[in-house]
Amino acid sequence: MEAAQEITSTFKILMVGDSNVGKSSILLRFTDDQFLPPEETSATIGVDFKVKMYDVDGKKYKLTIWDTAGQERFRTLTSSYYRGAQGVILVYDVSSRETFEHLSNWMEELNTYCSNNDVVKMVVGNKIDKEAERQVTRKEGAEYARKHQTLFLECSAKTKIGVQQAVEELVNKIVDTPSLWRKSSPNKGTVTVNDSVPSGLGSGCAC
Amino acid sequence: MSDSVLPYAADAEQSLTPDELLVLQRQFEREGPRARIQTKFNYAWGLIKSTKKREQQLGVRLMHEIYDEHAERKRECLYYLAIGYYKMGEYANARVYIEQLLALEPGNAQARSLRELIDQRVSRDGLIGLAVSGGAIALVGIVAAAIFKKRSQ
Repeated sequence: MEAAQEITSTFKILMVGDSNVGKSSILLRFTDDQFLPPEETSATIGVDFKVKMYDVDGKKYKLTIWDTAGQERFRTLTSSYYRGAQGVILVYDVSSRETFEHLSNWMEELNTYCSNNDVVKMVVGNKIDKEAERQVTRKEGAEYARKHQTLFLECSAKTKIGVQQAVEELVNKIVDTPSLWRKSSPNKGTVTVNDSVPSGLGSGCAC
Repeated sequence: MSDSVLPYAADAEQSLTPDELLVLQRQFEREGPRARIQTKFNYAWGLIKSTKKREQQLGVRLMHEIYDEHAERKRECLYYLAIGYYKMGEYANARVYIEQLLALEPGNAQARSLRELIDQRVSRDGLIGLAVSGGAIALVGIVAAAIFKKRSQ
């Protein structure tokens, strides 16, 4: 093993979206280059977490990728995981119109808990291997992303297409946005407690 | 290919801010004895994530109640009970619950990672225990030898 190269920065990336759109599968494809058949997977409890080193222009970055549970019952919990994130990937399933329509809920949550406008957002349409069952066109996805000024990509965790590119694009954009990560203490956000909003835990995000 | 070689349970590492926990507590208290299951679960989860043992204990107690009353919440209760006991240093209990979850979902990578984390801690603490008791045995030996020596003089 070569001498440990100094890590330029650590990035926190969050994955959100409805349950069963393939967030964990995208992550597993990215970190381990694996894909599990549906019967071997289980719904994420709360949050899962993976680390991967990533090189850009000879500099080493540590990616910590938080894979949040999509199920409704974990929704309140999810809000606390946004804290300190530099990038957020919003995932939908191109073969499920419903998951695409729910993007607006996730976008709203993201904008509530990430008050910094610089946070890099990316919309990802997964499962393009199911072309025959497609319910959301590529054009619709791209338009939604443009309207919300986010990055956009379609991918398939199953066939591998687009997964690496998605993370690459997101990370490159974070690297190009130094205001996101040059601060020394990324975790000191101000918390506003609002008891009347039971859906979340208040804004605890410094991103 | 993965660099995530270490077992990791994000929920065991990260706590809520006191304000965030307070939001969950207030909501739970406001709903009183007939609190919604979701409210109770959120509060139990927030408590288990705490670094304070007293809060972890209360969280585990509430999580046990949810586990007993709501079969549909079984898998997440088992997971967070394991995390709770793990954080409290009660590794035998932590193992009981993570094994139950793995019996239901043998392929659950999150659960496997948590079990590995528990096993690591057990073997580490086991070695420390062994070193301590080893030291004690050595001490007993020295004392015994001294007494024996004295008697034989």
